[in-house]
Amino acid sequence: MDFDTKVKLAVYRHFAETGQRPSLESMAARVSSDVENVADAYVRLRSQRVLVLETDGSSIRMAPPFSGVPTQHVVIVDGKQYFANCAWDALAIPAALHRSGIVYSRCEQSGEPLRLAVGSDGPEATSWLFHCLVAAAKWWDDIVFT
Amino acid sequence: MLFFRSEELVRDWCAANDYPVRPLVTIDQLWGLAMTWYSTRLQENSRRPKPDEMREIFGRLGLEGDFWDPRSDSFG
Repeated sequence: MDFDTKVKLAVYRHFAETGQRPSLESMAARVSSDVENVADAYVRLRSQRVLVLETDGSSIRMAPPFSGVPTQHVVIVDGKQYFANCAWDALAIPAALHRSGIVYSRCEQSGEPLRLAVGSDGPEATSWLFHCLVAAAKWWDDIVFT
Repeated sequence: MLFFRSEELVRDWCAANDYPVRPLVTIDQLWGLAMTWYSTRLQENSRRPKPDEMREIFGRLGLEGDFWDPRSDSFG
C-alpha cells in the first residue's frame, strides 16, 4: 500500500472510531512516519478531493462524509456521535460505516427538526427532500459552501 | 446541500435568499448517492467516481440534465 493510501485510511479509521478529526501527530504515529510527511500527504489527498484542510494546512475540515467541525447534521451510530458536512453526507455516514444510524438535522427554511432512521437497506420512508444549490460542475469550487 | 420538509419550503427558502430553485431530490435518491459515493470509503481501494461515472450514476437515479453534469459549463 502506498503512503498516501495509508494516511487516508488512517484518517478515515480515526473518524470512524472516534467521530472526531485526528491530530497530525496522532496520524504520524499511526502510520509510523513524521508530521512533515503526513502533512505533505494531506496536501496530495486534498488535490484528489479526499480531504479538505483548514487554512493552517494541517487541520482536517472534511474527510467526506465526516466533518472535522460541528455542524447541524448529526449522525448517531452505535451510540457514537458524528458530524456530517451536509445532508448528503449525513446519509453517507451510515453507508460508509455499514451500520444503522439515526440522522438528526433540520429543515433549513422552517427549522423543523428531522429525525431519520437509516438501516442497512436505507432510510425509513419519508417525504422530506434534499436540495442542492450548486451545480455538480461547481461543487469543488467552494466545497464548504456547497 | 440541505434538508427541507417540503417543496413549498424549498421555494420559500430560495425566494427569501434570492437563490434559484434547483432540481429536488427524494431521500431515496439521496440514499442512492450516499451508497454509491461512500459505501467503500473506508476501504483501501476506494476512489471518487470519475465525471463519466458520475453522469451515469446520476442518470441511473433519475437525476438528469445540465445541473447534474459534472462537465457542464451552463452554470458558470
